[in-house]
Amino acid sequence: MLTSNSLNQTFAIANSGLDLEFSFTKAMEGVGLSPEIAHILWLPLPMALVLVAAVVGVLVTVWLERKISAAAQQRIGPEYAGALGILQPMADGLKLLVKEDIIPARADTWLFTLGPVLVLVPVILSWLIVPFGQKLLISNVGIGIFLWISLSSIQPIGLLMSGYASNNKYSLLGGLRAAAQSISYEIPLALSVLAIVMMSNSLSTVDIVNQQNTIGLLSWNIWRQPVGFIIFWICALAECERLPFDLPEAEEELVAGYQTEYAGMKFALFYLGSYINLVLSALLVSILYLGGWGFPIPIEWIASWVGQDPNAPSIELLTGSLGIIMTILKAYLLVFLAILLRWTTPRVRIDQLLDLGWKFLLPISLVNLLVTAGLKLIFPSAFGG
Amino acid sequence: MQGFIKKIAEYTREAVDAANYLAQGLAVTFDHMRRRPVTVQYPYEKLIPSERYRGRIHYEFDKCIACEVCVRVCPINLPVVDWVMNKETKKKELRNYSIDFGACIFCGNCVEYCPTNCLSMTEEYEMAAFDRHSLNYDNVALGRLPTSVTSDPSVQPLRELGYLPKGVMDPHNVPASEPRAGHLPNEILEWMKENPKDQTEKELNKINN
Amino acid sequence: MNIAISTQTICFLILSSIVIVGSISVVLLENIVYSAFLLGGVFMSVAGLYLLLNASFVAAAQVLVYVGAVNVLILFAIMLVNKREELKPVKGLKIRKIFSAAICFGLLALLIRVDLITPWSLPGPVAIGEEATARIGEHLFTDYLLPFELASVLLLMAMIGAIVLARRDVPTKDIGTGNVVNQSLLEKPNVPILIDKSSN
Repeated sequence: MLTSNSLNQTFAIANSGLDLEFSFTKAMEGVGLSPEIAHILWLPLPMALVLVAAVVGVLVTVWLERKISAAAQQRIGPEYAGALGILQPMADGLKLLVKEDIIPARADTWLFTLGPVLVLVPVILSWLIVPFGQKLLISNVGIGIFLWISLSSIQPIGLLMSGYASNNKYSLLGGLRAAAQSISYEIPLALSVLAIVMMSNSLSTVDIVNQQNTIGLLSWNIWRQPVGFIIFWICALAECERLPFDLPEAEEELVAGYQTEYAGMKFALFYLGSYINLVLSALLVSILYLGGWGFPIPIEWIASWVGQDPNAPSIELLTGSLGIIMTILKAYLLVFLAILLRWTTPRVRIDQLLDLGWKFLLPISLVNLLVTAGLKLIFPSAFGG
Repeated sequence: MQGFIKKIAEYTREAVDAANYLAQGLAVTFDHMRRRPVTVQYPYEKLIPSERYRGRIHYEFDKCIACEVCVRVCPINLPVVDWVMNKETKKKELRNYSIDFGACIFCGNCVEYCPTNCLSMTEEYEMAAFDRHSLNYDNVALGRLPTSVTSDPSVQPLRELGYLPKGVMDPHNVPASEPRAGHLPNEILEWMKENPKDQTEKELNKINN
Repeated sequence: MNIAISTQTICFLILSSIVIVGSISVVLLENIVYSAFLLGGVFMSVAGLYLLLNASFVAAAQVLVYVGAVNVLILFAIMLVNKREELKPVKGLKIRKIFSAAICFGLLALLIRVDLITPWSLPGPVAIGEEATARIGEHLFTDYLLPFELASVLLLMAMIGAIVLARRDVPTKDIGTGNVVNQSLLEKPNVPILIDKSSN
């Protein structure tokens, strides 16, 4: 683990990609500011960018969800707000924004307000580690993917908090269910991530993607970790409370689960949180298993075929934008799959849910981890020695 | 050991089966995305009601002889016929006639049995009201004719499924000249006249099948 | 004092005040649910302190283990337990309170003394930052292997114990009539493991 993969290192040096911070600092210094001030000016920019990206991603996902659901049911879907109803999520958001904020009379005001915040903030924080390119991420922290796992474990507290504070039996039951589901599916999720980490010798998302992009499509982790991919996807759906696993808000049994008493902007936070979580999960699946920003054929190969220097600025710009497009494309393909699954699978019962988590996914992911470790010892070249 | 292996094999088979069923379900959902919606954008588009559509009842006060047949054939004796006997002329004098469409089931019995044909069914079906009492139509309201879908300039009239050409599901953009599927009775009669009898029977069977 | 150091100082002050106020409230608050939620806040701020010390892996582990597992379990326990319970008034509550306060203050004094007499090296060793993950793994599997394995065995024992305690025992015979009754759950038979078979 101590010696980082030499291949990765040469790759990283060869393809440093776009370095926006460096260019920004240079530009600011050109205006006559000190590097420190330039750094402070730079700091809020990626954060604001990620917030905007997350919210726009949610708006697009909501629109897609409505349109694809409509297509699967031979309906038209939102049509009149903007072209093809593209502004419909915006209108929904605006409605929630100006709606009256109701706190039930016997509810616990403080916990009731804090609950949705605790659900949303960890999800947005997790966007820190999502790379859209070699240097296109907020912070390349060494603990990378582990940060996401630990942040997503905060969410159950927010769910329990809002469930308890609503002073409503449906809310409490929904909150408890959500927390139980979230805890049980986190374990197979973490184990399948561990198998990936074992192959890439690093927790950093950038390293994980780089390790997958040596020979393009064929080196993606999905071929080496097919079982892990399925486990991760099932667990991600469960963590997002998407349809086969949407027990916490099963409307036939629990009204709306922990969201029952919420209205206006606080409800919007839950709504936003669940969709940001969906997009985030899709992005992480594409990063962990589908080669992240990598193009199916390595750009360097194409550049050398055409006879271009891969480090030329124009090629780098092209690679960077192609990387962003590829990441988003893969993520939205997975979102599409999630929406299809939503209209295909019926909701599981709570005992089936826990059975699947503890008696199926957990043993399988343990076996997967063991097999990966064995393969790594036998074929160190193919499984990241 | 044997039992354990057997158990594992069974478990694996079940898991594979489950995955298989899931894939089949996904294929069905995916296939449905190919089918286009045939949505009629009501109130901007409306279907043309069929020829024998049983909508709101139209009533002609002047034709009515206050015989009360409509009341007798009505399942719930709904029509209210308010008449007095004119002693001098020894004739019934109709004052008022009303039907409560909040209770009417549009069975059409009154229309069927009316001896003077003063009752008839229109193609009006939009009778939503804020107050159920406003659904109680008197003879003036009953005498009004609804706006036809085809003559309303703000509405795009569309043909119903049964009136579309063969194989067409979407009523949009079907030219008016395109005939409906099948034959009208008069068309069949005309065609029977042109053809000898034994042959027509064969052909008729073909059509009916 | 440049911007980075002052930011760090402000963060340290905020986090440590949250830790102190939070933990005092955890002890003193009447409502047990508030105590549990505040405990989560305290754990989070401790994780923040780790982050200030450049130990991001330990911080993430702190959040995962203490907030994500321990605190959630505590909350679960509180919310699943029926809290309507009349407690008997304890005799001599005042004296007990005074005693426990005295012990607590004694512990505090001891801690302060240890803090004062220990020769802390300032500044401490340089933080290894990103390499910490690898270093921790190395230590866990070499010189700390025995404690690591012992901890895992202990956890396994605790898990098995919890399963045995939480297992639902279904009597196979009706208590009144003595007839054999089928009380299997929805799908699977539940074989009792804690019922003494000799008594039946």
